[in-house]
Amino acid sequence: MADESLLSDDLLRQLVALGHVDVLVGIPTLNNATTVVDVVRAAQAGLGKYFPRARSVIFNADSGSDDGTPVLVRDATTDDTGTVTASRPLRTTQRITTPYHGLPGKGSAMRMIFAVADLLSADAIVALDPDVTSVTPEWISALVRPVREGQADLVAPLYSRAAVDGPLVTQLVRPLVRAAYGWRVQEPLMGEFGCSRRFVAHCLERSWGTGVIPDGVDLWMSGEALANGFRPGQAALGPRLLAHARKPPGLPDVFQQVMDAVCSCLELHAGYWLSRGPAEPVPCYGTLPGAVELGPRPDVTRMAESFARDVSALNPVLATILSAPTLAGVTAAAATRPLVYPDELWAATVFEFLLAYHRAVMTREHVTQTLLPLYLGRTASFLLQHGSSGPAVVHDALESLGLAFEQAKPQAAAQWKKA
Amino acid sequence: MSAGDPLWYKDAVIYQIHVKTFFDSDGDGVGDFKGLSSKLDYLEALGVNTLWLLPTFPSPFRDDGYDIADYYSIHPMYGTMEDFTSFLGAAHARGLRVVTELVLNHTSDKHPWFQEARNSRDSPRRDWYVWSDTDDRYRGVRIIFLDTETSNWAWDPVSKQYYWHRFFSHQPDLNYDNPAVREEMWRVMQFWAGLGVDGFRVDAVPYLVEREGTTCEGMPETHEVIRYLRAQLDAHFPGRMLLAEANQVPELVRPYFGDGDEFHMAFHFPLMTRMFMAIRLEDRGPLTDIVRRTPILPDTCQWAVFLRNHDELTLEMVTPEEREFMYDEYASDPVARLNLGIRRRLAPLLDGDRRRIELMNGLLMSLPGSPIVYYGDEIGMGDNVYLGDRNGVRTPMQWSGGWNGGFSSADPEQLAFAMISNPVYGYQAVNVLAQERTHHSLLNWMRRLIRVRRSTRVFSRGTIALLDPPNQRVLAYVRTFEKEQVLVVNNLSGTVQAVELDLSSLAGAIPVEMFGQSLFPRIGSQPYFLTLGPHAFYWFRLRRL
Repeated sequence: MADESLLSDDLLRQLVALGHVDVLVGIPTLNNATTVVDVVRAAQAGLGKYFPRARSVIFNADSGSDDGTPVLVRDATTDDTGTVTASRPLRTTQRITTPYHGLPGKGSAMRMIFAVADLLSADAIVALDPDVTSVTPEWISALVRPVREGQADLVAPLYSRAAVDGPLVTQLVRPLVRAAYGWRVQEPLMGEFGCSRRFVAHCLERSWGTGVIPDGVDLWMSGEALANGFRPGQAALGPRLLAHARKPPGLPDVFQQVMDAVCSCLELHAGYWLSRGPAEPVPCYGTLPGAVELGPRPDVTRMAESFARDVSALNPVLATILSAPTLAGVTAAAATRPLVYPDELWAATVFEFLLAYHRAVMTREHVTQTLLPLYLGRTASFLLQHGSSGPAVVHDALESLGLAFEQAKPQAAAQWKKA
Repeated sequence: MSAGDPLWYKDAVIYQIHVKTFFDSDGDGVGDFKGLSSKLDYLEALGVNTLWLLPTFPSPFRDDGYDIADYYSIHPMYGTMEDFTSFLGAAHARGLRVVTELVLNHTSDKHPWFQEARNSRDSPRRDWYVWSDTDDRYRGVRIIFLDTETSNWAWDPVSKQYYWHRFFSHQPDLNYDNPAVREEMWRVMQFWAGLGVDGFRVDAVPYLVEREGTTCEGMPETHEVIRYLRAQLDAHFPGRMLLAEANQVPELVRPYFGDGDEFHMAFHFPLMTRMFMAIRLEDRGPLTDIVRRTPILPDTCQWAVFLRNHDELTLEMVTPEEREFMYDEYASDPVARLNLGIRRRLAPLLDGDRRRIELMNGLLMSLPGSPIVYYGDEIGMGDNVYLGDRNGVRTPMQWSGGWNGGFSSADPEQLAFAMISNPVYGYQAVNVLAQERTHHSLLNWMRRLIRVRRSTRVFSRGTIALLDPPNQRVLAYVRTFEKEQVLVVNNLSGTVQAVELDLSSLAGAIPVEMFGQSLFPRIGSQPYFLTLGPHAFYWFRLRRL
């Protein structure tokens, strides 16, 4: 049940007027004036084009923008030819924008979006990132349709990624979540997603106050769905282009946030994943277009040098986290030219760090910071090997990595239980 | 009846009757004028003040009488001319005006005019129709009856030429480029107006004149014909009314009113379609959209609004998506679909849901225009889509649960159209006699509705101002005429709704609900809060005391 204390009287008045909706598109914002209009237009066009009969609302939870974002959301319009017989949604697509109070961040915004969706009995809910510039009306269809057709409770995105793009996802989060939760979800850090009313109600029943939520709500929702029997699905969206409204945080901060979220979720869902068997495929809806590189190529040489230097410098700390064979492997890899950080070694490394995090052998922040140079080494190794490979080769390489994580999991699970 | 207010049609509540299936007085299975005359008390009690009769002319009945073979008499099966004039006098004596059909555009191919025309190219009647050696003139002009016709030209094997027809091929179009045709039609109008007919519902108006390279619809020359007939009517029979059938969007119908010198009235087709759309979507958007797009008319003109009539529910003026939606919602059985429309009556369209039937009638009676009630819809009659063409919505009136539903003493097999006899809508379940005995029947509710509608001129002559409450399921508007104002609030949805109305411009007024005379709190500067049950509607007379 929704926590109604989230909802101001003014918002409630708007919701009373709105009534039940079939589809709710939620957009959490904070100073996204440069991009949010196109996101709203795409959402409105998608609703009109693919769900013309649906009762729909675009709901914007704003975290206190001072650049006019809420006004832009409210006033954004799609083209209207103005004739009686012009094609348009059959029902009025409504728009609500409201400030939310509480902890800033996506977690609080999503909680409000879910609460509103629950109160409006929305059958399908879509969350869109206001910074995404590549969103199209087709995204709405892709994320909503599996939910409305009863095929999925949570529709995660599938993005077109080149080998060099999103290594934090491809090298770490994806294989780890796959192995732990037993589902081959490609994008557990869902930038966009669709979900069912049943899943929304479940999430609202859970505590949103844990440390997981503020920065890791996307991963938490993935984990909640996978660990609690909700049917997952994946929708092919295409490339994901971002235009950050603010300067994005540096890698150390992002790495810290993601690792905290991953580890916290695994702590939270340990009862599920420790006994979960091999990973199952997740149904995919649609076909992904080919990937193009979205960003500048990372400086692999520098990453490899950093890896070698830090492994040497951090050897005493690594010795408290890693088993002797793994530490030996990492040390050997750091000394090898060209750098090769094998899949199995990387899987063992990650799981052993996870155990260290769980056991709290040192401060958790320290644990995750220590993993960062190893992550750079592994990423450099992968890029050296596959940075110029074709999509099929990259796909096979990432699939091998996923299998390596799956193979490493039973031992890690056993040790977790002992701890 | 011609004396009195020349704008009488603006206050009309019209009842549309198919004489053939209304009441049979002589037991031959076909309704007639004597039968209709005997039911005038019923119509008077219903509260309507104008009767519109479907064609009763001699006809081969290949288009249920719209294929006329003689414009100057009554088909014998409906009675004699004396029966007609007797009916007319009796109706007038009750204050009921009578509107008859005027099919200008075409005749039956059995009409003597066409027979003369086809039998000799030298006949003076030859040029009363539109002929061609080829079938490639007026290329691209749309075909209206898509389900039956493949061309607007038909080959006449007698005179070895093609003739033009916008409707069925057995209905050749008259040639209005020939002044003799126009004069003949004026003679037809004089004949019936001279008998006392109060108005003409003019069929298929846009198609009178053809011009190469156009849609052949609404040509300037067509308007000339109309202006001529209107001027003649005004000069010789002041106070008579012309009602146009032009199945088009309101912007395109507007020219048929001219500067108040063409038609007095015209049907508002899209309003009808959008009422059905809005109530299924539970969204006022389609209705507010069409109301806003409806042009202002000259002071002497009026829209004719309706829910259902003798034709299919037209879906010509909607988008493909809207049409699919309407088919899915109202005609999931494809047999109910005809041309670009749906051949169903009001009650089956609304699943027999009394609340929705009431709401739709409430909208009909409170939106701008003169409302038309199709015979039988006041008791919730059903239809028979298996009768072919549009005959399924023209079945006999259900007067009682007895023999042939009280319509006729003939053998059931002899009836013009079979009675509806299924357990839901059949005459045993749905009939006038039973509903007259039940205070809360649909019939008695309709009587109250019409009485309240006619208790004020605000609905018939007032302006409309749409309100814009945040709740999209609620349609609200204020009707204003002189010093009188009525607030109308409709819940288009099947669930209870709360709504806040910005009535600050009406601050100080006391709403009085018009059906029960219940007082509501005085309107202030704050939003006015109302709750409405499923498909409920309120009419509030706004009093300033």
